[in-house]
Amino acid sequence: MDEAVIVGADIVAGHDGTAELVVRLLHPDGSEHPVLLDEDTGLKLMEACGAASLEDLYGQSWRRIVPES
Amino acid sequence: MFDVIVRGGTVVDGTGAPGFAGDVAVKDGRIAAVGQISGEARTVVDARGRVVAPGFIDPHTHFDVQLLWDGAARPALEHGVTCVVPGNCSLSLAPLKADDRKAVVGMFQQIEEMPPEAFTTAFEWTWEDFAGYRAAIEKGLSINVAPLVGHSVIRLWVMGPASQERAAFPDEIAAMQALLRECLKAGAVGLSTSFVDLDAHGKPVPSRYAQFDELDALCAVLGEFGRMLQVVPEFYATDITIARIDQLAELSIRHGIPTTFSPLFDTLAVPDNAERAIARVEEQFARGARVWPQMQTRPIDISFSLLRPSLFFARLPRWVRILRQPLEQRVAALTDPDTRAKMLADLGPDGGEAMFGRLVARGGDACPPEYVGKTLSEIARLRGQPAGLALIKLSLENGLDVAFLSASQGHQSTDRIGPMLAHPLVHIGASDGGAHLASFSTYGDTGYLFSEFVRKAGAMSLEKAVAKITSETADIWGLKDRGRLAPGQCADIVVFDADAIDRGDELPAFDMPGDGMRYVRAARGVDTVLVNGEVAYAQGAYTASRSGVVCV
Ligand SMILES: [Zn+2]
Repeated sequence: MDEAVIVGADIVAGHDGTAELVVRLLHPDGSEHPVLLDEDTGLKLMEACGAASLEDLYGQSWRRIVPES
Repeated sequence: MFDVIVRGGTVVDGTGAPGFAGDVAVKDGRIAAVGQISGEARTVVDARGRVVAPGFIDPHTHFDVQLLWDGAARPALEHGVTCVVPGNCSLSLAPLKADDRKAVVGMFQQIEEMPPEAFTTAFEWTWEDFAGYRAAIEKGLSINVAPLVGHSVIRLWVMGPASQERAAFPDEIAAMQALLRECLKAGAVGLSTSFVDLDAHGKPVPSRYAQFDELDALCAVLGEFGRMLQVVPEFYATDITIARIDQLAELSIRHGIPTTFSPLFDTLAVPDNAERAIARVEEQFARGARVWPQMQTRPIDISFSLLRPSLFFARLPRWVRILRQPLEQRVAALTDPDTRAKMLADLGPDGGEAMFGRLVARGGDACPPEYVGKTLSEIARLRGQPAGLALIKLSLENGLDVAFLSASQGHQSTDRIGPMLAHPLVHIGASDGGAHLASFSTYGDTGYLFSEFVRKAGAMSLEKAVAKITSETADIWGLKDRGRLAPGQCADIVVFDADAIDRGDELPAFDMPGDGMRYVRAARGVDTVLVNGEVAYAQGAYTASRSGVVCV
């Protein structure tokens, strides 16, 4: 593994009352960190990964979070 | 002869000391005496069986716009709040050049969700500088206001459009310093900045383009006045929050200023988030820094409608696929009996009762009035449909514009949050009063502190809870002569029923300019509120008093 991958995903309540997505990233050095994505970004990530459920995100590259430029 | 005597109550003086039976006398806007008082007064407030406490202070609000036509910041005042701090999260309405109004209105609308009429018909823009804004609100205040000035508007004033493009040059930083100094002299109680907010076009707000040396230079000016820096940190990203805490600690020590980050949430998805942040705060206080985490009392509710895709359904793959289609296809799929049957099958044999039954139809949209405030379980029974089907059909019948609320989905564990709120270094606040109007109510968090954390959970005593939102808040912010019931203090007083005070139900109200909708909560258990010695609210009604001031 040479880049961070998603190893967990959970829905959390955003401060603005929307459902947001927390993904846990496992980094190549073995550390794990949560990253909060707002509803829009979270939905885009699921779409980019063709994910229909949170589990479908597992193993996906962190790069999927960043929109293609 | 006193102006007012609040007689026969239990005095909870805001210091955390045990309550005692006594009276509070007021003269010329100040507290004249506390104890057994024999003199007479023009007005006597009967407080028998009630608690008499200093007025509550709400340190994180966005009432900047509303204060221009509603000097009571309704319904904040009726909940016992006698002082609000607007101008949070890098945004204030001054200093602001006429040409820049449109851009800042867009930023405000992102946070406040106010209808456009609020900015076009509800008041007249008479100011550009901070003193002018202060004069504009001061005319009609019945609540006290301790305003912050926003970093984003200071940056916009000095840099124009470049404020959302690049770092500042040294001469621009010097100009921002001079402008901040002018605002502080005109009555600002500090500076707010944000590391997360976006403008109306999804672009980071100006403050987010600042480099550390710019923030450092502005904090040097705050240091000349000993004033507060408020920041919005990245949510639920604990390592980043800790880096922010360290950054704030450096600024606090270097410039001798208090700092606060707001909000800090607890979440079961990142269970050590708040705990680790608070542990870092303890370390930094031990070094001599002042970095106050602001934590709100109320849990976070999620709301959604089928009009827009929502992550609320993220655990239901078929629902996700259907709801993210363009509107026309989405409606077609929801109308198709076969598709609907499959969607319902996904919800389990109870037809979605367990999954959706507790959702509440919120109202304020196209929802038929007879269903507003009811749970989906109740609606399903009334309609003779399973819960999942009721959700879909009710939405279809009303152009999908029916919002549902899933209560207490975040920051909801009273057992975990109670001890954090009681922590001596945790600042109770972050209500966001006056923001997110169309999404949820930001009023009544103080009532919820008493109902949930004092009465129900016993996480702290009544006296401690009062101290947290009165004297401690006044001390953290350096608000002079506020937050205590003692001779010489400003007479901001709330009389409430300790057994009944609560935040009230969340209901849609159409009291914004242009008949705009917002969610509110009416106060429960609050009898009387005095602001600077005058009765501003009593027996369920606001008075004509305009005794609020800009307090520093
Ligand atoms: Zn805010």
